[in-house]
Amino acid sequence: MAFRAFFGILGGTLPADIARAHGYEKAAAKRPEPPREQPKPETGALQLLGLMQREARLIDFFLEDISPYTDEQVGAGVRSIHAQCQEVLRKHFRLAPVIDGVEGTFVKAESAGALAREPGAIRFTGNLPAQGKPTGGVLRHRGWRADSVMLPSASPKQNLSILAPAELEVE
Amino acid sequence: MRYFGIDLGTTNCAAASAAAGPDAPVEQFAVPQLVAPGEVFAETVLPSALYLAAEEEFPPEALELPWGGGRCIAGRFAARRGAETLGRLVTSAKSWLSATQAERTAPILPTNAPPGLERVSPVEASRAYLAHILNAWRHLHPEEPLRDRAVALTVPASFDEVARQLTQQAAEQAGLPELILLEEPQAALYAWIESHPDWRERLRPGDLILVVDVGGGTTDYTLIRATERNGELELERIAVGDHLLLGGDNMDLALAHTAAQRMPKLDAAQFHLLWQQCRLAKEALLEDSSRAEAPLALPGRGSSLIGGAIRGRLERAEVESILLDGFFPRVDSHEAPVRRRRAALAELGLPYEQDPAITRHLAAFLRRGGQLACPTHVLFNGGVFRAARLRERVAEVLNAWLEQEGRPPAQVLEGGDLMHAVARGAAFYARARNEGGIRIRGGIPHSYYIGIEAAMPAVPGLKPPLKALSVVPFGMEEGTEAAVPGRDFALYVGEPAEFRFFVSSSRKHDPIGELLEEIPEELEELAPVEIRLDGEAGTAARVTLEVHVTETGVLELWAKGLPGTPHEGHRWKLEFQLRRQRA
Repeated sequence: MAFRAFFGILGGTLPADIARAHGYEKAAAKRPEPPREQPKPETGALQLLGLMQREARLIDFFLEDISPYTDEQVGAGVRSIHAQCQEVLRKHFRLAPVIDGVEGTFVKAESAGALAREPGAIRFTGNLPAQGKPTGGVLRHRGWRADSVMLPSASPKQNLSILAPAELEVE
Repeated sequence: MRYFGIDLGTTNCAAASAAAGPDAPVEQFAVPQLVAPGEVFAETVLPSALYLAAEEEFPPEALELPWGGGRCIAGRFAARRGAETLGRLVTSAKSWLSATQAERTAPILPTNAPPGLERVSPVEASRAYLAHILNAWRHLHPEEPLRDRAVALTVPASFDEVARQLTQQAAEQAGLPELILLEEPQAALYAWIESHPDWRERLRPGDLILVVDVGGGTTDYTLIRATERNGELELERIAVGDHLLLGGDNMDLALAHTAAQRMPKLDAAQFHLLWQQCRLAKEALLEDSSRAEAPLALPGRGSSLIGGAIRGRLERAEVESILLDGFFPRVDSHEAPVRRRRAALAELGLPYEQDPAITRHLAAFLRRGGQLACPTHVLFNGGVFRAARLRERVAEVLNAWLEQEGRPPAQVLEGGDLMHAVARGAAFYARARNEGGIRIRGGIPHSYYIGIEAAMPAVPGLKPPLKALSVVPFGMEEGTEAAVPGRDFALYVGEPAEFRFFVSSSRKHDPIGELLEEIPEELEELAPVEIRLDGEAGTAARVTLEVHVTETGVLELWAKGLPGTPHEGHRWKLEFQLRRQRA
């Protein structure tokens, strides 16, 4: 547990309030990080993009013009991208629905637990009351929350803006 | 106090730890490792891959781990990078540890390294994986240092004494000279026990548990009997199989070669990717019997992913014929593995099994005593068995044999974590050993012999026949010693004497000191053992032999000066002679 939080903090992307809501705070406090340079806000983004490219070739895929190819060709390629992206998500994030209920049924806002009062955790749509917040509604989307983020710790000298190196094969 | 278990696998290593106290849970230890240059991430397995980077291949900080670094890297990035370059990646070091034909302490890996590139020994590679895991623990848990005897390291049950001692040597070089060795199938059963606190109610005296452990590179069989002593249920390991160099990697590789036949020529990196995809496709096809094939797509090497893609497929019929019929065929319990005599190994390669049929090897194992041993329970271990279809096939074949014998079907012991059970079981065992708790009895799972040349007049062109003297009986327990009775040897002081050394995992009833008039077929020759008596050269000493099995499970052979001779009270240790003599 301490370890997971350790890496979550290295990634610099675990908001303190979310950590508190899910009980990570204690573990994090147990192993204080030595003072280090504050990671720049783009660090996490570049790291994740690099990761997605390395594991699943996601940048190649998004930036490729796929219009000349048949659905079948695209479909075959997407399968491996899909599987590998999923693995990246599973490995580096702990994701859970905001409200773990059956979509299409009525749920109360309280089902979100501690997050029920969190602004932005629940979006009400449809016929909203004139005053005050609705207490529940039909669950259209369960939402997602990241319980933890575990990005690799990057060496400070690493140039993260290199998302994928150019490859030269020595023959 | 922390107890620690390490599974040093052929393709993946894993580790687990347990706090003191019988009820404290066993926890998986995620091992931080390089996943890309300059990126460290903790994963539940450390791939057993060692990459020997070139001098300026990476800036030094890119290979830095939180506890230090070097050009020799282990784990995920090592495996990935090794597929991109030639002759710098060490894999399957563990299989080499048990390869009798190879010089196991010599730098022979990677075998495909072009001249001029670095090589390491199988022992050194094993040391590197162990050191990586231990350093990771020390770095993350400086407040909980690992004591030697609180660490258990697993080896295949079929590992012979030389391979065990080389593993121990690797541990010693990694800073844990006294760690405990544990057999992998036993570790898997300990893990099952750990996850079933009511296990004593699930087994009865007389039950026979078959552990089928198919790892990445090796297949290992073990039989464990439940017995009753003083009203308590006890477990005793009664048989282990021969060392089979046959595992999941061979299966996936066979599938990849089949799929590759339908594709344009692939380079090494693409083939590596295909190999991985075949593993996933295999699992998907075995999982869902309604699918006729699984698509494979190797993305283009260049940035054009879809346009440059090489597409292929793996068909259900292929998976069934290669895996189910090739590796797990329905066979009769009387069938013996097809074994061609191995030609003296001319080239340096691993002696993979001639017969890939795991079920046929199983039949031979269970039929060793002549009668079929009839298991009442079966425990599966190893990543291969993530495919339920393969577990079912083994159970089906086994139960057909049992039915022929008029026995009820064997019950499958469920609930094991196939990838991590061995490490977990090892941590559990380390604690049980130190704090008291269930222990599987068993002792040394082999019997050992030394070759003695018959005294006969020399006949030109005829080698004197060799006899085998039993020096270590099967099942000799840890912490015991015994003398080889009825025989003493005259050895010259100051020069080495060498004995040929043999092992058997199937002969269980040769008492110590028994002389077999000729070398039986089931004896396999190991590296010779050598002794060098110190003292004044030219004189002869009369000695008797003694065997010790240490508390940590290491076998030692000693020569002792005969009472009443000038060398009374002297002792010399016999060592394995691993470097081949050059003629």
